Amino acid sequence: MISLILKEEKTLTLFDRVFGGNDYNYERTVAAIDAAIAQYGEAEAVAFPNTAYNLPCYYSITGKKINNLGELKAALENDIHPMMTRNPRLQDAFDSGVASALCAEFLEVLKYLHGAEPYAEPEMGFLSDAFVRNLGLPLVTGDIPGVAVIIGGAEDPAETVELAKSYQALGLLVTLTGSSVKHCAESGMNLGEGVRVVPLGYEDQSVIHVVSVALRAALIFGAIQPGDTKALYKYTMDRIRAFVNAYKSLTDEIVSYGAGAIQLGFPVISNETENMFRVPKSLIQQLDTSKWNATSLEARDIKLKITKIDIPVSYASAFEGEIIRKGDMQVEVDGSRVDCFELVQTKEMQEIEDHKITVIGPEIDEIPVGSKISLSYTVEVAGKAMQADFESVMERKIHAWINCIEGVMHTGQRDMIRIRISKADYEAGFKFAHLGEVLYAKVKSEFEVVVDKCQVTIVVDAEQNKELRAKANEIFNKRDARLASMTDESVDTFYTCIMCQAFSPSHVCIVTPERLGLCGAVSWLDAKATQELDPTGPCQPILKTGCQDEKLGRYDSMDEAVNKYSHGAVEKITLYSLFQDPMTSCGCFECICGVEPCSMGVVITCREHAGMTPLGMSFSEMASMTGGGVQTPGFMGHGKHFISSKKFIAAEGGPGRIVWMPKMLKDQMRERLDATVLDMYGVENFTDMIADETICTEDPEQLLEYLGNVGHPVLGMEPFDM
Amino acid sequence: MKDWASLTTIEEMEAATNSLLENASKVGADTWQQRAKNQTPHCGFGEGGTCCRICSMGPCRITPKAPRGICGCDVHGIVARNYLRFTVGGTAAHSDHGREIMHTLHQTREGGNYQVKDPEKLIRIAKEWGVETEGKDIYDLAHEMAEIGLLEYGFPFGEQKFAQRAPEHTKELWRKAEIMPRAIDREIATAMHMTHMGCSSLPEALIRQSLRAGLSDGWGGSMMGTEFSDVMFGTPKPLDTEANIGVMEKDNVNIVVHGHDPSLSEMIVYYANDPEMIAYAKSLGAKGITVSGVCCTSNEVAMRHGIPMAGNFLNQENVVLTGACEAIVVDVQCIFPALGPLSKCFHTKFITTSPIARMPDSEFIQFHAETAGENAKAIVKMAIENFKNRTPELVNIPNQKQKARVGYSVEAIKKVLDGVANSQVDEFGSTKPLVECVHSGVIRGAVAMVGCNNPKVRPDTAHIELMKKMLENDIIVITTGCSAQAAAKAGLMDPEKAKEYCGAGLKRVCELAGIPPVLHMGSCVDISRMMVLASDIAKDWGINISQVPVVGCAPEWMSEKAVSIGNYVVATGIETFLGVDPYSKGSTEVTELLQGENGVTQWVEAKFVVDTDIDALGDKMIACIEAKRAALGI
Repeated sequence: MISLILKEEKTLTLFDRVFGGNDYNYERTVAAIDAAIAQYGEAEAVAFPNTAYNLPCYYSITGKKINNLGELKAALENDIHPMMTRNPRLQDAFDSGVASALCAEFLEVLKYLHGAEPYAEPEMGFLSDAFVRNLGLPLVTGDIPGVAVIIGGAEDPAETVELAKSYQALGLLVTLTGSSVKHCAESGMNLGEGVRVVPLGYEDQSVIHVVSVALRAALIFGAIQPGDTKALYKYTMDRIRAFVNAYKSLTDEIVSYGAGAIQLGFPVISNETENMFRVPKSLIQQLDTSKWNATSLEARDIKLKITKIDIPVSYASAFEGEIIRKGDMQVEVDGSRVDCFELVQTKEMQEIEDHKITVIGPEIDEIPVGSKISLSYTVEVAGKAMQADFESVMERKIHAWINCIEGVMHTGQRDMIRIRISKADYEAGFKFAHLGEVLYAKVKSEFEVVVDKCQVTIVVDAEQNKELRAKANEIFNKRDARLASMTDESVDTFYTCIMCQAFSPSHVCIVTPERLGLCGAVSWLDAKATQELDPTGPCQPILKTGCQDEKLGRYDSMDEAVNKYSHGAVEKITLYSLFQDPMTSCGCFECICGVEPCSMGVVITCREHAGMTPLGMSFSEMASMTGGGVQTPGFMGHGKHFISSKKFIAAEGGPGRIVWMPKMLKDQMRERLDATVLDMYGVENFTDMIADETICTEDPEQLLEYLGNVGHPVLGMEPFDM
Repeated sequence: MKDWASLTTIEEMEAATNSLLENASKVGADTWQQRAKNQTPHCGFGEGGTCCRICSMGPCRITPKAPRGICGCDVHGIVARNYLRFTVGGTAAHSDHGREIMHTLHQTREGGNYQVKDPEKLIRIAKEWGVETEGKDIYDLAHEMAEIGLLEYGFPFGEQKFAQRAPEHTKELWRKAEIMPRAIDREIATAMHMTHMGCSSLPEALIRQSLRAGLSDGWGGSMMGTEFSDVMFGTPKPLDTEANIGVMEKDNVNIVVHGHDPSLSEMIVYYANDPEMIAYAKSLGAKGITVSGVCCTSNEVAMRHGIPMAGNFLNQENVVLTGACEAIVVDVQCIFPALGPLSKCFHTKFITTSPIARMPDSEFIQFHAETAGENAKAIVKMAIENFKNRTPELVNIPNQKQKARVGYSVEAIKKVLDGVANSQVDEFGSTKPLVECVHSGVIRGAVAMVGCNNPKVRPDTAHIELMKKMLENDIIVITTGCSAQAAAKAGLMDPEKAKEYCGAGLKRVCELAGIPPVLHMGSCVDISRMMVLASDIAKDWGINISQVPVVGCAPEWMSEKAVSIGNYVVATGIETFLGVDPYSKGSTEVTELLQGENGVTQWVEAKFVVDTDIDALGDKMIACIEAKRAALGI
């Protein structure tokens, strides 16, 4: 940052320069018109070729048309001169900038007098209405993401060419004025409307021809009434993503055009420092011209759609359901055994270098085939409209994004992910860094509304991941805690979630504040944010209406929603019952619970627990009872945090029914579960009353004995109403 | 010239007040409008500052025939002594508010009534103060900082810690002029001692002490009040709310908070949102509970929770006159004793809570940090139970309100500025984008509009008219206190509409940054935020504060606190414009010291400008800003 040091002598103010440029142009225009009148007389016709908009800038700003030299002179005196006020206010500078631009248009139209053809290749001069119609529409709709107006050229002509090409490569329309025309033409670069690089003219004033395009676009596509400057400027500011790149040295004339551009909402980026000022988002000094592209796009809020992902294998939704068998696998990232996680985090803009992909630790070619490795990836994003609530929404999309890579399989979320990368991918040159490329591209394209910058850090190091995972878990817990204060009764809307229908086409989750999605990853807040970000996406709001039974959680509107989103496969559900139309399960539930008939309680086990349960079934055996979106009364998949919810099988008596859980799950849930049970039944240290694999595994008798010894509350409950 | 149509005009606000005054006459209530008439004309000796009643030989009143008091003190000594005592009344009030906050900070605990909601800010200040933070529990740190902060009031040696935030040049000026603030209580005690019978009568010495006491407020007590309120209750961020009397809800239980200390109102807001309390209100026939505010307590809860602002200082009786106010709950400062008798004319409970502000005809529920939750709950309950006692034919809530975006702490302003910075060229977290706007002339400068209402000025007119004038001239307005509420009530903080009243430069800035042209920076202690902002701007710009095209303005001020503020704003190097005379016109010497070229301006590079013609005052402010620009060559 350059400090704004005072100079001893009186410096010119920014406004002084604008006024000076305007005065210069005005005097030139007066002289030129007078000379033309002397030559051709006042009745000589004045017109640009191939336009129905007369002098388009003058016409759109004043609503008036000019037919001959006499009228041109009158317009200069009666319309333009009064705009040239000199108060030290931005309005005066804007008006003078516009006046200066109109003078440029007048000077240009004089070139076409008497049937002259003033421009020859490469200069294009005035651009026809057909040009506006051809390029205008994609411009207004955003298919052309922006317009780069280059004025002047770099000291090294190659640099100018490079800049023009950098915009061309991104699909922007580029116009050239002054020496940039020469630099590009002499480099042999293909120029013209077809390649979207348009050389206007060697004189600086020829820049008016691109302004003329912008203003005609407003009249044609924005239906702006000529003369309605307020609407005109609002349209150009909101809809026409143009900006100016002006190489030093800047004359007062160019500075005055700059004021006109800024009035229209087009920022000016320059490397000029002499007698120059800076205005945020409007007049930007960027001395490093190699950064003009990035600086300009940010200044004009131009976001580019990423269409191609740079990886050595195919990427398509066709691969989303692809399974990688053990024998085909090069490496496996296995979150159930080693420390792994995926995390999206919000950072400040300056903390992020866009598109930086970092891999810490060995790459895939340094790891033996068939390894089960510890790997984490942290996607850091920044954006002016980014909210922390969107983080988990992006995280939930990672599953689908990674799955779409040919030869890569992804399951789970948070710190329970599993990724298999196939041998075929390895041989094609697929690296861990490519996971980063995919994440970067998808975040930037799917969340372009909120993400301006994104970087990805991949850590392949068990030691570091251990520590990082603990930190990630803190973040996950904080997000969960935010939700803990909300209840199902305190909101009037629940949400669907059908994010995993790629795997389970008939499964629908209904997400409520007290019942998160069964994957454990989509909370009510996440669903809400997903809906905000993507109004037609996987999470749709359902108003809580038509309550049939509050205790069961049975609502007409929920039935309608599951029916609709399961495509008729599921007709009715309850939110809080294990027996009556329980919610379906896909395959990605964190936990599963099942009825234990001897105790009239329920057993819960989780994905990480490989061992047996007193039901005589392991997690995967229980899972096979209910996956794939079918309703199996007595079995239900659910998220971990649902265990400590007061709504957990509330219809059957609540979490007090839990008789067995793996020890590790008990430890994770202890604090919240104890608090919930204490609140609901007045029983302290409830988690200790729940049996685990250290107390009994397959023997229900042992279980019953233990429950009796500790005085488990289930023994005082009514039998299940099966 | 401009279409001000979407603003609520002074005339409309007065019409609303008049309809409320009808309620007053129905019940035979007394109002400030009548009392102001009764008190006019005011005592000329009092207004000129020329009456001395510091000892019992007098009172001595200075006239051409009796130019000296019995002790021989001349008019200049008397006026200057009165001025200093007036100042330290304000210093004491603000700083004691800050002290209360430090005591509350000392009571914070995990899960308690009061918690540390902005630990980052606490750690940042601790580091600034050189306190070790590594490995410390946040509450241990809070308690340690509270003790250190409380020592700022009485340490034997040294300078105020927060004063070190000022730019080096400013600190040099302060040291050279011997006005660098020492312990806060010392500055107040010294002032009282200096003005005791038979001590100082040299105007210059008395005015120096006024500046010093003022600085111990703005860069001491007030700043602690602000900063540690943020630590406990959260640093304000932009929030949308509403302002003016129409925010009170006819069908709801209305609780109005009034005063200055946020500790109480934070708890009231919490319990008014408690589902149990809402259910209780519903069970007694109300549709819900509405908390709204008056004066600076209102600013505090508006900035942090979006609680609507029912009005400012001279609206405090209006909220009771609606006949729909179940309770007006007050803490300290600027509370009319009139509320006691007035509330007796309606069903309204007038609840005082602080031993600092005890009043007849009120119910006193002493507020303790340890029992804050219970106290607040009891008050909310009392209000709910009072709902049934309304007299329906007296209920009149004028339907007048405007949208307002509030919450511009220095941190929030920098965040806004980050939004217009370019990550390829700019650094973030600074005031530089604002500096660039001013430097380039897009914005001409800034005015810090602050202060009260005063019946001597048609209420709110000066605030609103001056702001309009500034906006048209591309001068951005930052504001606090009752001035902020005047702006909000008028609609000048509506981010959509208010920008339409600005010149092209300020309008463009508002559009790009998504801000209203009048930025609400908080309550009157939060003028300390303005001092921090001015310092940061000067540092980021590389010039002195006095060179920055910014001025202060208190067009309708009335309290001792306002004079204390005026002293520290001027001493910080910011020219300060007053629309009400500070009881000093009886002395040419004191007037020259405060307003002339040869007084304070020689010490601190700024002075007071007083003009009761508001339009002329505005012209002078613009001229001052333009002169500063010219001096910078911009």
